[in-house]
Amino acid sequence: MLQKKICMVGMFATGKTCLVQRYVHSIFSPRYLSTVGVKIDRKEVNVRGEPVTLLLWDLEGRDGNHDVNPSYVRGAHGLIFVVDGTRRDTFDQAFDIRESITSQVGEIPCAFAFNKADLTDEWQLTQADEDAVSARGLHVLRTSAKSGTGVEETFQWLADATLQKTGA
Amino acid sequence: MADEPATTSEPPKQDKGGRNGGGAEFAALRHLLVGPEQNRLEELATELRDRHVSAADLAEHLPEAIVLRGKRDRQIGRALAPTVETALRESIRRNPREIATAIFPILGPAIRKAIAETMAALVRSINSAVEHSLSARGIKWRIESWRTGVPYAQVVIKHALVYRVEQAFLIHAETGLLIAHATAPGLKSPDADLISGMLTAIQDFVRDSFRPGEGATLRTFSVGDHTVQVEAGPMALLALIIRGQAPEEVLRKQQDTLETIHLQFAAPLAEFSGDTAPLQTVHPLLEECLETVVDTDAQGRGEYLWMRWVIPLAIAAGALLVVLIRANTRFDRAVAALENEPGLVVMNARRGWLGWVITGLRDPAAREPQVVLAGAGLLPRALKGRWEPYMSLDSGVVVTRARQQWALPATTPLSLRSDTLTVSGDLPLSSLGMMRQRGLPPGVSDVIVSDSRVILPPHLDSIRLAIVDERVLFAPGAAEANLGERARARAVAIQVKLLADSVGAHAGELTLTIIGRTDPTGTMEANQALAQWRVDHVTAIFAALGVRPDFVRGEPLATSRPLSAADSAMQARINRSVSFDIDVSTRSRMTRGR
Repeated sequence: MLQKKICMVGMFATGKTCLVQRYVHSIFSPRYLSTVGVKIDRKEVNVRGEPVTLLLWDLEGRDGNHDVNPSYVRGAHGLIFVVDGTRRDTFDQAFDIRESITSQVGEIPCAFAFNKADLTDEWQLTQADEDAVSARGLHVLRTSAKSGTGVEETFQWLADATLQKTGA
Repeated sequence: MADEPATTSEPPKQDKGGRNGGGAEFAALRHLLVGPEQNRLEELATELRDRHVSAADLAEHLPEAIVLRGKRDRQIGRALAPTVETALRESIRRNPREIATAIFPILGPAIRKAIAETMAALVRSINSAVEHSLSARGIKWRIESWRTGVPYAQVVIKHALVYRVEQAFLIHAETGLLIAHATAPGLKSPDADLISGMLTAIQDFVRDSFRPGEGATLRTFSVGDHTVQVEAGPMALLALIIRGQAPEEVLRKQQDTLETIHLQFAAPLAEFSGDTAPLQTVHPLLEECLETVVDTDAQGRGEYLWMRWVIPLAIAAGALLVVLIRANTRFDRAVAALENEPGLVVMNARRGWLGWVITGLRDPAAREPQVVLAGAGLLPRALKGRWEPYMSLDSGVVVTRARQQWALPATTPLSLRSDTLTVSGDLPLSSLGMMRQRGLPPGVSDVIVSDSRVILPPHLDSIRLAIVDERVLFAPGAAEANLGERARARAVAIQVKLLADSVGAHAGELTLTIIGRTDPTGTMEANQALAQWRVDHVTAIFAALGVRPDFVRGEPLATSRPLSAADSAMQARINRSVSFDIDVSTRSRMTRGR
């Protein structure tokens, strides 16, 4: 059995939990996020015919003054960084947070999810922001918790990328 | 190494005559060019020499070192185990006979011990089953299981459980990913990977919250009657989910298991990146941690101790009662079967410990009592009895008696109405003789045999057939046979007399018909007269030889019902003849006293 630890991080209220809750298997209450600071879900994907289990560590949203808990990201194989497309401030600190994580776990595959893509009227991010992510060699996708757009693709890309990194 | 050219960091010296001045310069040049490499070569040579010395030293101190380490912990054993296993496997593969001879002395005791332990376990198991099934407590649990729908085993565990290690998680320390998981039989944990991750997260949470010293971990926490006991190693955590109060031995076993896993799986653990395949063989080690301890000596049993004996005794008594009732019913059915059997009269019947004793009257023609009971499937293991003979007039017995008395075959139908017995079908001549000789059996005063046909025994029947096949021929128009044909007639007469005597001896009656024929030449009246003369002629020959004329009957057929032949000449010849027919019969009725 192949398993990968994936951390989901992002600023407070970017919709991390809502984004995935319809697509994962979970036995723990969302209250864990505000108590323990993390909730773990499972997502099964298939990469080139091989089943891969992604253990999603949904980390408590940060408010900008706190770093991500290093204990929770230790040993992670991949990262999903969730940004609220209607709140520019959630993107502004994204690279700093990511850098803080990579300083602990090293370079690992990272997907940026520009979430709430269905709220086009309130959308504050630009193509330049997406380009800025891509320029760093990171994967970027517009996602929507409401419609499900981009969610499966994000998991699939990340699973594939983690396997390529470990040479599996 | 001694034969190798000496290497040195010093430049080589010049010899006396300066003859090798060029050589010295070359050596100096070589020192300048490859001096460092020469130095390194020298170091390597020294290292190799030292290593030899170290091996020798090691050989000197190895036994003591092993003893010392063995006293401290079990790491030596664990480290050597795979190598010893491989060596043993290889040795057995190469020469199994050697190993078999070596271990032969311990095989017998080992087998005996294994059997003894198995038997002891069986006895314990039976004791436990009896106790749980028949004790008041066991019955109470059975009722609870039936009432609540919870399996009986779980009810027992609920009430008598001391502790049970229900699950074992081996968790990768860095990632929190589940490496392996084992559960006790009957339990399921489909989300072990999520639990594993969350256990790790909680560990981190507690550590971050309280900031204990280096390496400190959350080792135990309890929820209800469950305790989670976590042992942390450098690369993996072993968490046990325990129900009840586990003793210290469980923790020691947990620590040993974790150490063993770190020792045996050091490389796969260090390289772990989510693929559990290289660590699959760790599973048996986790399963060894799972155990269930039930207290079968829990309090509350003493007050109902007497129940342990009363209930089995009551069941045994009930079973005995059922057996007795069944035996009694069987006995009654057997007696009824004997009483209903024709020719048997049961006078006394009783059932004892050693078998049945039945006495009464039995007609010799009746079936044996054993045969009657066996036919009804009621034959006991032991049947004793005394049966006095008597004469039964039951119709079935009378018929059987008649058949036995006259040696009648079973195929000859007999029927009795009142005291008249009717014999039909084939009646052997010998039985006919016995009827006359032995008379009528009791219960029969009249026998009707008119519907039967007397059957000759084979040797007499062959004589009859020979007579019927004979023919006395006559010349055309002749009323008397020539000499040769007269001799033939006399021979037939002797055969007829022999047959008649034999049939008469068995009370049969023989009728000889002498048939006279002529050829068609001449008038019907003349031929009729000629046929009569020919019959008379042969009858006279027979009478002269002692054949009684009262059972001879003449039948001058003349030309009616002629014999057929291939040609007319032959047909005319064989019809100028006298032929014979024989019938055996008996009196149609036999009456007692006549």
